[in-house]
Amino acid sequence: MTVDATARTYMITGPEPEWWYRDLISCLQATFGSLLIREGADPLAVLGAGWRFLHLPGDIRSEEFYYPCPTGESGGTDLGAALAPHHDLHARWWQPADENDVWREVRASLADDRPVIAAVDNFHLPFRPAYGDVHAAHLVVIYGLDETRGVVHVSDAMPPAFRGAVPIEKFLSSWGSANPTDDQDAFFSDSRIGRRCLDVRLDVPPAPLTPELLGGYLRIDAAGFTTASPDSSARTGLAGYDEFAAELVERCRAADAGALRELYPFGWAMQAQASLHGELLRRCGREWDDPALAGAGRAVEAVAHAWTGLRFTGAHGLEDPRAVASDIAHHATVLRGAYQRAVDAVGAAAARL
Amino acid sequence: MTGISVSSARSRLCETVDISGHRNNTAISAATETRAGAFNVWRNSFAAEYLPEGKSLVHVDGVPFEFPPVLDGPDNVRCAGQFIRVPEGRYDWIHVLAASERRCEDTVELNFADGAVDTEPLRISDFWAAPAWFGEVKAFESLVMHYPHHVQRGVPAVMWAQRVPVTRRAGLTGILLPRNVAVHVFAVTLQRTEP
Repeated sequence: MTVDATARTYMITGPEPEWWYRDLISCLQATFGSLLIREGADPLAVLGAGWRFLHLPGDIRSEEFYYPCPTGESGGTDLGAALAPHHDLHARWWQPADENDVWREVRASLADDRPVIAAVDNFHLPFRPAYGDVHAAHLVVIYGLDETRGVVHVSDAMPPAFRGAVPIEKFLSSWGSANPTDDQDAFFSDSRIGRRCLDVRLDVPPAPLTPELLGGYLRIDAAGFTTASPDSSARTGLAGYDEFAAELVERCRAADAGALRELYPFGWAMQAQASLHGELLRRCGREWDDPALAGAGRAVEAVAHAWTGLRFTGAHGLEDPRAVASDIAHHATVLRGAYQRAVDAVGAAAARL
Repeated sequence: MTGISVSSARSRLCETVDISGHRNNTAISAATETRAGAFNVWRNSFAAEYLPEGKSLVHVDGVPFEFPPVLDGPDNVRCAGQFIRVPEGRYDWIHVLAASERRCEDTVELNFADGAVDTEPLRISDFWAAPAWFGEVKAFESLVMHYPHHVQRGVPAVMWAQRVPVTRRAGLTGILLPRNVAVHVFAVTLQRTEP
């Protein structure tokens, strides 16, 4: 930590946060990836270790960083555990406790040498393409605060990618934005930002990934796809996918645009997860000279690629859901086939590890 | 044999395909009228100044393509199950200039004169600041992204050269594109590997 004479400058020690990006991930995985690198962990090995289908009806928010996160036994949610179910990654949302001193918790976190992930509205951030144009919920990493100069130091790996100082007033507008409904962005507007932040902790450094360790992860995940969920409010596995897809098609036939508005952010979460898991399995397959594992990874990536057809058919069909119902049904069927092939391949690979 | 002569030989075995009747989307715009383009759901578009002249003959990795019209109406086929008839013949590769709204895999159906139909994969990487995930050749790159209300630096838009194999030794008559609005085809060229 660096503290100046007035104790109003806070900056993490060491280098600025590294960017971490893949073309199918959202700001959620990108920001977590930056923090994991800082912890000395490999983001792909952590964020790509788990793979499941999870749909929580009524839970989806119109935010780029939406991710299904089941309520735990304590009644709370843990976004870190949802993103990395096989690691000791934990994350909880918080908001400033004192409206008269909204930076208090950020100062404390930076003083503890811990960057903060903050929710923002792109409309107010000069480095985002949507600046002054489109309201959309997004995540960035805060790694410094200089109240003397009036700037916040922010890192954002999503294109065009930015790392640097933003005027505090701009940031406050973005961080506290109502993010009102915006016709130009039907998927990530209409979601109050509310100065939300994420406290992310990696409690235990990840163990080196071995075939035995990965095999254990894969067996758990494969079972999750083929066994019924104990929680009736959560749609999980292939059976959960079938329920989700049937309802999606029915809602389109009933001209319910809300179904397509939800599909986009929900599908992004599932697509990003599958893309990272598939890439990790391919990488391990190559490193361990295991072509079947690499092939299973490619099959999981095919799931990610099939999500594109479903998500974008829905996005372009928002104004007339009934007109795209048959194409939605078609892509849902294609995606179901991709899931089945990938689950079979992962199960077979896991049995040999 | 030099690379140039290989390219020339390959070019002589290629036939560009007329897809003008199927173009249904405008993905390229001028900096002075960025609203005219709408490649994706956010209405982003390629910047014309970084792309070849409209209707020109371009070569990518030795393969000739007829570049679509630029700033003169629809410039690409947004895939919706269109059937592209081709001059009947024995071909080995179907080359496309294409881009996708997010990385995407789908299929095309190849129709043959003897009534056979084969399904082959069509794999197209994201146009948005993305790598060639499927091993395509980067054909053209707009170094800026057009938004409806501004020109964005730092976010390139990429058009890929991808290919689809024709494995059946029979006369190809047509290509059925997928029903997938994410995939955009700008040009099609057929190639034989032997005269």
